[in-house]
Amino acid sequence: MKKLAAIMALLAAGLAGPGWTGGADTAALAKKQSSLSAEYNLAKDSKFYFVFDVLGRKLELRVRGMVLRTWPLRSMRFWGRPDFAGTVELVKKTALKAPERIVIKPGEAEEAPATAAPAPAAKPAASGTAAPPAEFDLEALELKDMPRRFELDFDNGLHVIVKAKGGAASGLGARLRDAWRWYVGMPLRNLFGREEGAGTSQLELVFDEEKDAQSIYWHFFDGIKGIVL
Amino acid sequence: MTIKRLLIVVAALAHLGFLAVLGASYFIGLKQASTWPPAGEEIAEKDVPKVERNVQQLEKRMGGLLPKGPYIVIDTAENRLFVKNGDKVLREAVVSCGSGVVLEEPGGKKRSWVFDTPRGEFAVKSKITNPYWVKPDWAFIEEGEAIPRGLEDRIEAGTLGDYALGFGQGYFIHGTLYTRLLGRNVTHGCVRVGDEDLKFVFKAVSIGSKIYIY
Repeated sequence: MKKLAAIMALLAAGLAGPGWTGGADTAALAKKQSSLSAEYNLAKDSKFYFVFDVLGRKLELRVRGMVLRTWPLRSMRFWGRPDFAGTVELVKKTALKAPERIVIKPGEAEEAPATAAPAPAAKPAASGTAAPPAEFDLEALELKDMPRRFELDFDNGLHVIVKAKGGAASGLGARLRDAWRWYVGMPLRNLFGREEGAGTSQLELVFDEEKDAQSIYWHFFDGIKGIVL
Repeated sequence: MTIKRLLIVVAALAHLGFLAVLGASYFIGLKQASTWPPAGEEIAEKDVPKVERNVQQLEKRMGGLLPKGPYIVIDTAENRLFVKNGDKVLREAVVSCGSGVVLEEPGGKKRSWVFDTPRGEFAVKSKITNPYWVKPDWAFIEEGEAIPRGLEDRIEAGTLGDYALGFGQGYFIHGTLYTRLLGRNVTHGCVRVGDEDLKFVFKAVSIGSKIYIY
């Protein structure tokens, strides 16, 4: 009897949430109007902004309405309150090992900086098809130095984890930790962890290429604004 | 949420244990996710034409923000430069952008420079043929040389290639002797371009053309 009551209680808990709404066409039109209006407000300014199209499964960097860069999502998963759409601002970018700038202090450095070293000039690159970039380490902060997994916190409480396929949890321990966090920790936190009305919204975005995740880290600076569709 | 919590506690009290609580949180989580995407606000049937007009107007306004004529787009992460006109890519070039290195001046003044290519929207402010480089202080500090007093000691010819396009605050899109380093982040903030590509860029854009560096 107790078990039956408990199961009924759980079902009631699940059904207590909001349901589907009708009027799909007019709702789509209203949504288009609001997303266009939000984008126009950002595009009026000369600053870069991003558009995260959840249903279209892509993240885009834009300026003046132009798409500069598109990152298609390989997969995406989500826990928590889904009402995170709208205009957002990046407030924090966190990585386990954030890239650090190289500081050159002439007189203290053992070697001259790579930029100053006169590299032997190769054949001039043919138009539009320059030779592949030289593969050696430079004293520079490059795309390859960016983290492959990092977290973004937005002003509306949305927390986004960005990672590349297979690039995040490589060892068994890390994979288990990751699975525990996502399949046990997150659901419980979603249920118990926060105050009413300010629940967790956590998105995990997985990209095919490590370079995709790294370039997002490169291009997403603190304070960048964007729209979540 | 309070009701849900209460119901979960009821479930726990009914000796269903941890798995039941976890199951409940999954159930609620899935229920939350099922409300995605949030529905747009309802529009009354009579307001639909007005909203449609508004959408058209917004689309027109967005179109008006696009740059007129050829413009330059530079990806500092991938070290790529694109000359575009509308959506059409007229030329793609492998370039070198800023190294991100910090140079600190030793001794008394303790000045420092960050060698980043600036990001944002710019415009071509100057177009120079056969440019020469007026070496700034950091160029001497980096080499461990004394900073000269006379302007003539700062001038270096041939370093910047055949053309240079200035986009403000001393930054240029220019040529390079070090074509082997194209595709890498090695510069002090300027954008280095190979000879043939630079010639194309120089001819394609005019003073005032937009430059987007991201």
